[in-house]
Amino acid sequence: MDITSNFTQNRYRQFFRRLEPVFYIGPAFIALIVVLIYPLGYSLWLSFHQWTLRTFRQGVPFVGFQNYIDLFSNPDFLNSLRITFTFVFCAISIEFVLGMGLALLLNHDLKGKNFYRAMILLPMMCTNVVIGLTWRLLLNYQYGLVNYYMGRVGIPPVEWLSSPQVAMASVVLVDVWNTTSFVALMLLAGLQSLPEEPFEAAKIDGASGWQTFFYLTLPLLRPFILVALLWRFIDTFRIFDVIYLLTAGGPARVTETVSIYVYRYGFQSFNLGIAAASSFTMLLIMLVIAGIMARSIGKQD
Amino acid sequence: MKNLNRSRLIKRLNRILIYLLVLLAVFLSVAPIVYLLITSFKEPELTFAIPPVWNFTPTWLNYNVVLSSSNFGKYFINSLVIALSATGIALVLGTLAAYGFSRFRFRGHFWLRISTLIPQMLPPITLVVPFYVLFSGLDWIDTLPALIISYLTFTIPLSIWMMIGFFDDVPIELEEAAMIDGCSRFSALIRISLPLVLPGMAATAILGFLYCWNEFLYAVILTGRDARTLPVIITSFMTNRSVHWGRIAASGSLVLIPVLVFALLAQRYLVRGLARGAVKA
Repeated sequence: MDITSNFTQNRYRQFFRRLEPVFYIGPAFIALIVVLIYPLGYSLWLSFHQWTLRTFRQGVPFVGFQNYIDLFSNPDFLNSLRITFTFVFCAISIEFVLGMGLALLLNHDLKGKNFYRAMILLPMMCTNVVIGLTWRLLLNYQYGLVNYYMGRVGIPPVEWLSSPQVAMASVVLVDVWNTTSFVALMLLAGLQSLPEEPFEAAKIDGASGWQTFFYLTLPLLRPFILVALLWRFIDTFRIFDVIYLLTAGGPARVTETVSIYVYRYGFQSFNLGIAAASSFTMLLIMLVIAGIMARSIGKQD
Repeated sequence: MKNLNRSRLIKRLNRILIYLLVLLAVFLSVAPIVYLLITSFKEPELTFAIPPVWNFTPTWLNYNVVLSSSNFGKYFINSLVIALSATGIALVLGTLAAYGFSRFRFRGHFWLRISTLIPQMLPPITLVVPFYVLFSGLDWIDTLPALIISYLTFTIPLSIWMMIGFFDDVPIELEEAAMIDGCSRFSALIRISLPLVLPGMAATAILGFLYCWNEFLYAVILTGRDARTLPVIITSFMTNRSVHWGRIAASGSLVLIPVLVFALLAQRYLVRGLARGAVKA
């Protein structure tokens, strides 16, 4: 009698033990299901329906894959994909090269190191809207400081934001200003975690600075580089506010990334079925590429 | 001897070059921000003066216009309430969940833990579409709860992910000792570990707060007149007819000042958090 009740008590206790993590993790996951998973599922549903200002009051009709078909035959969407990839590629490569340089510089034993690091961190933390507007002022054709000081050294003024040939470069430039510090600080954290012995050995063996960099620093830093690139990819792929404030996707759609395309389609012409379909396509593309990148990080570890 | 002197000279020059390049990077990072602050103190006529005027008597004119004419105070409070609520709720839920992930091992632990990273990758535009339709149905467009809920989508994963790292740093032995002394696990968490991760919680809160404070896309789509936040208000100074750069600069500076203060205060932790994947949402 005594033994059995003890036994059931133990079973109870074990049961509660196993449930214990649920008490801690459960609330956050319930919240995430409500605010995140449900809207995502709803968006998927939306992407198979025709939701426009005309239809939504009478119940939106199911259209199967029509939204997706329309999307991939829409030159504007394909254009926005191309623009996004161009932007991602240009911005990330420049940020990587500059960020690496900056990280190597900051890795020296400098006086006032923390001060420099703090100052370089600032662009990254700034409100994107303010960044966009400030650069719009700086890059203004007539009154902007950039054109003025270029003129002082004899370079003719450039239509930074209104010329279709230059606008993409300007948008990339602002993103480089905004986030190079992110790459630099991540790589700096990596540099500081590297072991010292191989570098001393290389020094004794008489390796040049470049040799050390390419054959030692770069391979050892690989996991940090991949993580930095992964986050930069995700962030540039979904960019909206800085570009929206600088050019709003113009001129002639040369800076219309997918996010801006969806915004225009969804919230200016209120075709939310198409907007859902395009934002889902965008999400899928992003997850596939991010997944590939994450796997190559996993392989390293 | 001569050779030695020469190599020392090269080393010196090298060092000077490094300092110059670092200072250049610092200058390029800070100059646009300083330029905005300076512009906010210029008379409207001087804003567009070419060549630019650097020597002028600062004026509060732009600030006066911004603070008196545009309900700036109301929108400031909106921004504050939304950011504080979204951060506070997320901090409680996220700290609990992070503790769970850090202290328990269970089936699916790894995948569940990794899955908290995925929401931080979601493009906001993917979520704002269903949010718009759902909140329209509930008649919640242009209300504070709508924005708070949409900000929870990134503050909760951010808090979980950041706090896991901070809990991992607290040795489990401390809690075990308390539990042997008769503490329940929960009170061991509250009494032993929580005080130790407090700096981490502060850093997480600051980062979450800044991301909410800076957010634009959700704010511009899900609000109309009443629930607007500051980033949306700044853009409203930019009408098609005219661009009030002085006012934009002044309101931009007002938005930016808390950001700069917080970013500098929590600098060390922010770098750590970013390195762990707490990127800008």
